[in-house]
Amino acid sequence: MSSRRAPRGEYIETDTGNKVARKATLVGTQHIMLGGKTVIQPDAMIRGDLVRTIHPSSQSGGNAAPQNNTAISIGRYCFLSRNCCLRPPGRFYKGAFTYMPLRMGDHVFVGPGAVVQAASVGSHVHIGAGCVIGEFAIIKDYVRILDGTVVPPNMVIPSFSIVAGQPARVIGEVPEGGHEAFELRDLYKTVGNNPQPAPH
Amino acid sequence: MATAFTPYSYIQCPCSDITPTDRRSGGSPTTPEPDDDDRAFDPRAPRSSFSLYPLEYLMYCEDCHQIRCPRCVAEEIVTYYCPNCLFECPVCVGPLAVTSVETKPDPNLLAAPDNSAAPLAGPYALTCSYCLWTSTEVGIQFDKPNGIHAQLAKLRNGGTTRLTAKERKERRKDPSYKAQPPPPDSQDLDHEAQFANLKAFYQGQLADPNTADAGLALLGDLGFSSPTSLSRIMSIYTGGSLLHDKKAKTRLGAMREALDPDEGLLVASLDESAAISKLRSEGLDGTASTAQLVGQPPNMVEPPLHGNERFLDTLRPVPHLLRTKRSKRCPVCRHIISKPESKVQTTRFRIRLVAGSYIPSISIRQLALSSGTGSGTSASGPAVPGAPLEPLKPAHFLLTFKNPIFETIKVTLGAPATTPGRFASRVTVLCPEFEVDANTDVWDEALKNNAERDRELRRRRGESVSANSGGISSANQLEVGKIWERGRNWVSIVVEVVPASLALAPGNPPLREDEDVLEIPMFVRVEWEAEMAGDEVGAAPSRSNSEAREKRELAYWCVLGVGRIRQR
Ligand SMILES: [Zn+2]
Ligand SMILES: [Zn+2]
Ligand SMILES: [Zn+2]
Ligand SMILES: [Zn+2]
Repeated sequence: MSSRRAPRGEYIETDTGNKVARKATLVGTQHIMLGGKTVIQPDAMIRGDLVRTIHPSSQSGGNAAPQNNTAISIGRYCFLSRNCCLRPPGRFYKGAFTYMPLRMGDHVFVGPGAVVQAASVGSHVHIGAGCVIGEFAIIKDYVRILDGTVVPPNMVIPSFSIVAGQPARVIGEVPEGGHEAFELRDLYKTVGNNPQPAPH
Repeated sequence: MATAFTPYSYIQCPCSDITPTDRRSGGSPTTPEPDDDDRAFDPRAPRSSFSLYPLEYLMYCEDCHQIRCPRCVAEEIVTYYCPNCLFECPVCVGPLAVTSVETKPDPNLLAAPDNSAAPLAGPYALTCSYCLWTSTEVGIQFDKPNGIHAQLAKLRNGGTTRLTAKERKERRKDPSYKAQPPPPDSQDLDHEAQFANLKAFYQGQLADPNTADAGLALLGDLGFSSPTSLSRIMSIYTGGSLLHDKKAKTRLGAMREALDPDEGLLVASLDESAAISKLRSEGLDGTASTAQLVGQPPNMVEPPLHGNERFLDTLRPVPHLLRTKRSKRCPVCRHIISKPESKVQTTRFRIRLVAGSYIPSISIRQLALSSGTGSGTSASGPAVPGAPLEPLKPAHFLLTFKNPIFETIKVTLGAPATTPGRFASRVTVLCPEFEVDANTDVWDEALKNNAERDRELRRRRGESVSANSGGISSANQLEVGKIWERGRNWVSIVVEVVPASLALAPGNPPLREDEDVLEIPMFVRVEWEAEMAGDEVGAAPSRSNSEAREKRELAYWCVLGVGRIRQR
């Protein structure tokens, strides 16, 4: 709602090559780590404010140093589509509620409208449109989650799985020739303030 | 109709070639010609769906120079691993987590002041995080939050405990147990126990010299109850030499069979009245679905016969299936064409010969034309992707062939003039023969000297520019024999299609599923020159030899799904 300077472009492009839409909602940016060359489309939301409050190392719990307190870390060449939401998972730990960090590897595509509350998402992962990834789910590398899938909390999805359904089940295996399709370098170039056409 | 159609291209593996001559051994330059229409490939034939694969699913044998598919490769398991050491929900397949069964704290107790200990208190249950099923619904709960597998093995649905095989063995040895009368029925005898009892019984029989009774000696070696065949059968089911008995080989004759539950006799209970009355009271809602029953592993801890696993309360938590890493061999030459690293944590492959690195990929996009039909029409941008095709109205599709190899390839296309099946759409490949430049490094390209580059650029653009002096890239021309566009290692050509009308004369059977999809069978021949293969045994790697080039070619059928025809 606050007034903004007239945007020069739709995206803010950072030194490390991240392309963050001005209309994306990043809450608690000091707790969000971007690896570089990541695209965040308009209306995507990242809840960096849901930061861990209890640390296994701290004795008293709750008043840990705010530094080194990452709520969401995102690797390189990730693509967060419109209206998607990344949200750290939360649970009771030693009697008190706390959020836990959400870690995401490289080349992760998060489809439009998807909600991700996983504990970890590996590298080369495709999360389809409208998917819901439940709290503390663990998604390994080279996983394809088809549109509209609901991954239940705590589910562990092994590498090279194709999953679909509500709740998600493994419906197939990513074939050997399908690894390259997870690469998001080309997709990265097609968005931003100077988008290039998709290569043939 | 509701969802937009995504064009596809599927490739046929040569293993489906049922002609008697061995053409798939490869290497021989006499690749079959798609000479007559009889040989033309029909993608709608029932057999075809088993031989067509997207490019990503195909492998390539470098020794046979041939495509291999998931159906013809030989798989070998490199390693097994457990993706998740817990259980799956028997109702919805969601993951089960160990949770504490909510117990009301005893008010009289000097309540544990540390609130943090509360969620860790037992007893525990397995709870589904998706549908909230909990194992207490089938009467199973655990004393400890760990070692669930072992605890579950001792629990029947409803919570009654059972003796494990080991405990039964010990009980049998116990002299005080022998004195007791045998249990009144075989209700106690579950799968595991019955097998153990039968095994013990037969082992006893084999060891007992008195069983060499000649009563049924006529049956001799064929005898169903002879020690010889028994020990042979048992070694099959118990895995190897467990029961190997050299003496048994020479002994003939019959043995008696098990007579009571302790010896493994289980009398089938044919009385289903309990199940029927339960069905009356609980209705179909209380029964398990077929999918749920299929998902159940064999229940080793319940009596095996009749009436089990029909109701929801007989379902048990399902252990996660193990996953495998598998290597693949060429079915013809036995060379390995895919081999993952055996370490579970890594996703790397030692060998991964995928077809996509050897044969051109084909992508399909519809073109929207600004006016009229026929050749010479200019195009204006892409059509609405996935929209249905109008019957009897020409539509144009851009096929882009991308060359993955480091040599220039010559591509020759062949397609029947009309598509097979009940609805014959007309197909014209405007440019059935063209060359695609090598997949050179982008930097190689940049470092080429200017003159060469200019010449090349002129050659690339030549085809389209010369056709029309005012030609710009966004208004290419539809012209027979001309390619549409060319890039570093790709070429786009146009296919004109006149979709058939889907109108059916009265009395004809209605449209089958996906019969409205316009599928074009296309024969693709790829030719290129490669350095003489150095893999031939005994071939001296001399300097002159390395300059020798050999012609290679690969030919295969594919099918292009371009769109759905609009139904009236
Ligand atoms: Zn095959
Ligand atoms: Zn395990
Ligand atoms: Zn469930
Ligand atoms: Zn081979």
